Amino acid sequence: MMNVKTERMGDVLSADVEGRIDGSNVVQFEEAVRAVIENSDRAVIMNFEKLVYISSAGLRAILLTAKSLQKQDAKLLLCSLSDRIREVFEISGFDKILPIHATKDDALASLES
Amino acid sequence: MEGDISSQPGKILVVDDEPDVERLMRQRMRREIRSNQYEFIFAGNGIEALAKLQEHKDVHMVLSDINMPEMDGLTLLDEIPSVAPNVRSVIVSAYGDMKNIRTAMNRGAFDFVTKPIDFDDLRITIQRTLETIELWRSALESRDKLVVLENELSLANQMQQSILPKSFPATDSYQVFASMKAARDVGGDFYDMIFLENGRIGLAVADVSGKGIPAAMFMMSSRTLLRGAAIGHSNPAEILGEVNSLLCENNDTAMFVTLFFGIFDPVTGELVYANGGHNPPVIVGADGASGLLPTTDGVALGISPGFDFGESSIELAAGEMAVIYSDGVTEAENRAGEQFELDRLYDVFTGVPKRDARTTTVDVIAAVDAFADGNPQFDDITCLTLRRC
Repeated sequence: MMNVKTERMGDVLSADVEGRIDGSNVVQFEEAVRAVIENSDRAVIMNFEKLVYISSAGLRAILLTAKSLQKQDAKLLLCSLSDRIREVFEISGFDKILPIHATKDDALASLES
Repeated sequence: MEGDISSQPGKILVVDDEPDVERLMRQRMRREIRSNQYEFIFAGNGIEALAKLQEHKDVHMVLSDINMPEMDGLTLLDEIPSVAPNVRSVIVSAYGDMKNIRTAMNRGAFDFVTKPIDFDDLRITIQRTLETIELWRSALESRDKLVVLENELSLANQMQQSILPKSFPATDSYQVFASMKAARDVGGDFYDMIFLENGRIGLAVADVSGKGIPAAMFMMSSRTLLRGAAIGHSNPAEILGEVNSLLCENNDTAMFVTLFFGIFDPVTGELVYANGGHNPPVIVGADGASGLLPTTDGVALGISPGFDFGESSIELAAGEMAVIYSDGVTEAENRAGEQFELDRLYDVFTGVPKRDARTTTVDVIAAVDAFADGNPQFDDITCLTLRRC
């Protein structure tokens, strides 16, 4: 139901998240992401293009990831949200806390500036 | 799985320097005393109260006045945990004395009642307090015996149910009715009604992230902080701002609560509201036509310290309703994996005008049930309807 494919670009990690993040798999999601983040990373870009559903437990996992990245002065960026996922972020106000980009390239470009 | 408190009476220590209180309490609670439901003991100030707690190790709850000689009620609150850690305290304060009520809540009071004491309200408060104590005691006793997770989930569910108001106002000018259908093992919805000055009423629907005991504790704090803030401030944006700041303190586990809060004035029909990242409520006209309540700037509470919440207001006409719900309604799924969504919620109201608040809430939950058609419920389903008559 949920799959995370990661790709490393130097000190930036990109994670394509597929399927659903909800109470049933949120722990696996957190672990899958945590396992590949390195202490030297300066950013993680989560690509939500193929994410179809996220529950509040999923939002919390995203927030925990952002918090733990903050401790190593790294950022969490989100990109390519479908309308439905974007709506979840907008209603909950999470779009005000986490940077959201239209595409992965935009997210990468924001890191350059 | 209700806590069994009928086998032994709930023992209540009443602390008040007013000599008439003992007589009044024994008289107004005579039925409960006779039926062995409650047992009262009395103390005249904080010092005496602590001595009684040392002597009577079986006291369940303390009902204390604030202003007393020797040791006042607020100081007593600080001292109780070291003498009787399992005792819960309810404070009696002057109506509108927000400063003392806030202080009492911050010092660990479980609830408060205001003077002049409404004994029906006091009975409900006592019952709820005793039930919560019993839940804690039974949890402490059984924690070694039961599978921890199941136990926690059931306790969390009971804590969740215990904070939900079960009786609702229905006057000539307005009605409120709410219902929460808990999911088996996730969920953290709650609703609340807070009666304010000049007949106004605060209405809240909230959804806590996470599950189990930590989420239930977070829910309890959210509710207590909301009640305290609602008495201390008059506008919803400030109220959410205060609750948010307090929830953000030491929130390392990144728990959060989405919360819609509105204050309805039955005289003017005005609903002033602020929204902490919760689904926008639906406004249903007297003719059954629906639309979303305009959004205000907000974010889920507990994660963004110092956030400045937006606020807006709407005037409900006679027969109009505000339906405040959680995402368990719109995100309920059927076997085909389709979600209930907003359009099906609107359909519940279309062409069926003049329903009361109770019927509306019941119909919404029934429609979600019918749609899910036995597919497992993944999230709590909550619906609160406010109707202006």
